[in-house]
Amino acid sequence: MAVRPAPGEVGLAILFALVGVVWIVGALGMPFWEGFAPQSGFLPFVYGIMLAALSAAVMLGLFRAENTAADLQPVGKPLLVLAALTLAVVGVQAAGFGIAIFLMMAFLFAVVERLPVIRSLIVSGLTTAVLIGVFRAWLGVPLPAGPFGI
Amino acid sequence: MGSFFELMNGFASALTPTHLAMCFAGVALGQIVGVLPGIGPSAAIALLLPLTYGSSPTAAIIMFAGIYYGAQYGGTLTSVLISVPGEASTVMTSIDGHQMALQGRGGVALGIAAIGSFIAGTLGTLGLMLLAPPLARGALAFGPPEYFALVVLGLTALAAVGSSLSKGLATGVLGLVLGTIGIDPQTGVSRFDFGFVWLLDGIEFIVLTVALFGVGEVLATCTMGTVRPVVEVKGMLPTREDWRASRMPILRGSFIGFVVGVLPATGATIASFVAYIVEKKLARDPSRFGHGAIEGVAGPEASNNAAAAGAMVPMLALGVPGSGTTAVILGALIMFGLRPGPEMFEKNSELVWAVIASMYIGNVLLLLMNLPLAGLFAKLLKVPYH
Repeated sequence: MAVRPAPGEVGLAILFALVGVVWIVGALGMPFWEGFAPQSGFLPFVYGIMLAALSAAVMLGLFRAENTAADLQPVGKPLLVLAALTLAVVGVQAAGFGIAIFLMMAFLFAVVERLPVIRSLIVSGLTTAVLIGVFRAWLGVPLPAGPFGI
Repeated sequence: MGSFFELMNGFASALTPTHLAMCFAGVALGQIVGVLPGIGPSAAIALLLPLTYGSSPTAAIIMFAGIYYGAQYGGTLTSVLISVPGEASTVMTSIDGHQMALQGRGGVALGIAAIGSFIAGTLGTLGLMLLAPPLARGALAFGPPEYFALVVLGLTALAAVGSSLSKGLATGVLGLVLGTIGIDPQTGVSRFDFGFVWLLDGIEFIVLTVALFGVGEVLATCTMGTVRPVVEVKGMLPTREDWRASRMPILRGSFIGFVVGVLPATGATIASFVAYIVEKKLARDPSRFGHGAIEGVAGPEASNNAAAAGAMVPMLALGVPGSGTTAVILGALIMFGLRPGPEMFEKNSELVWAVIASMYIGNVLLLLMNLPLAGLFAKLLKVPYH
């Protein structure tokens, strides 16, 4: 039975096309060609057109191909994982690396994977400690420390 | 003869305690990565990249190569025991391998896979050693038009990745688009920095690699997977009859895998598919395939290991990735400040030959690990994968 294409695939094709359009518009504000040589706007303009055209081709393919129900996969869990990761990355500067990563992992274990809360907190704490030990203490990476110094 | 001395120098470097330890760590990690569905060698290498900051490039690349070919061995275990391929390249193994396991011949399937993988891995490394240096010497004569053609080849090869031509090309062009972020090296004009100072240098390769291969793979696989019973592993060594039926599929698989692996953007998965199809076509009784034919295990297993070695040929000789994982290793070379391509055989010959020598050593280590320790590895499958 033919069904509609996966919304995620359509959304991604639209996003790619939008990036192409942004590049075309941005390139139009840059010098394009001078004498015998292309300038900084030339390649972004060409790439933008190619990306927009290929995204349109992908979209066309999505609606022309027969998508069976088996092709569609649940997106709830990946979206939760992606949201947790995004929040952790955004919050690293404000909360500090240790706090942001600990909260992200605790959320993934306790809420997404539905593991026991105490076990989730212990595993998250230990993993965060190892990450801080390796990157900050051993490799000397200046990770954001936040108000609590971790 | 020059290559022989270079290889001996490579062995001298690969057999130093540090490099030997990195080789062992790489193949052991590769085994684990291969066993666990949901994380592949490209993701594992991408996630380990930051940890190798500051270490010697030779040691790091030896470990990454070990993860790559080690994963081909490890993926077999889950394919045979629970019919869940740990790696895409072991999908074909699961068809007949799991049937053999259900018939109580899981140990034989794993044994012939390990022996076939060892033979193919060794032959593939031999092929890499013989083919890569002349290819690199030829490529040294390249001028701007040839390099341009090489880049176009690499980009168009993207179209062969995945199931859709337009999707492959679109993602390739997206890479080009992202490459224009930051200061234009020719004119000094800042492009698409959106007011962020940290975008003036462009987007770091390592950031993209970790995001695409590490996070991407985790997101893609977190909806899949179920817990299944583990089949017991007994008797690893194949009988004389099994060996007779498997030796030609192993040799054919080695050849097919190496040739397919050398072609850019193909890799071990396609190699194993081709090897399985060839074995089925050549079989006197093709109806046995799908019901526990040992040739259906030996051929694909040999081919995916030979392909891992073959994929290193364009990477080392031309700077063009032969597979997704070699693309990440290529990124690692760039991260270490090296310039992948034909000049590597001249400017970084110690690294290149140490990696090639380590692949011989790694294959021996993997054989020694796989035959007696398969039962132990099988216990990893008890880790729940939701």
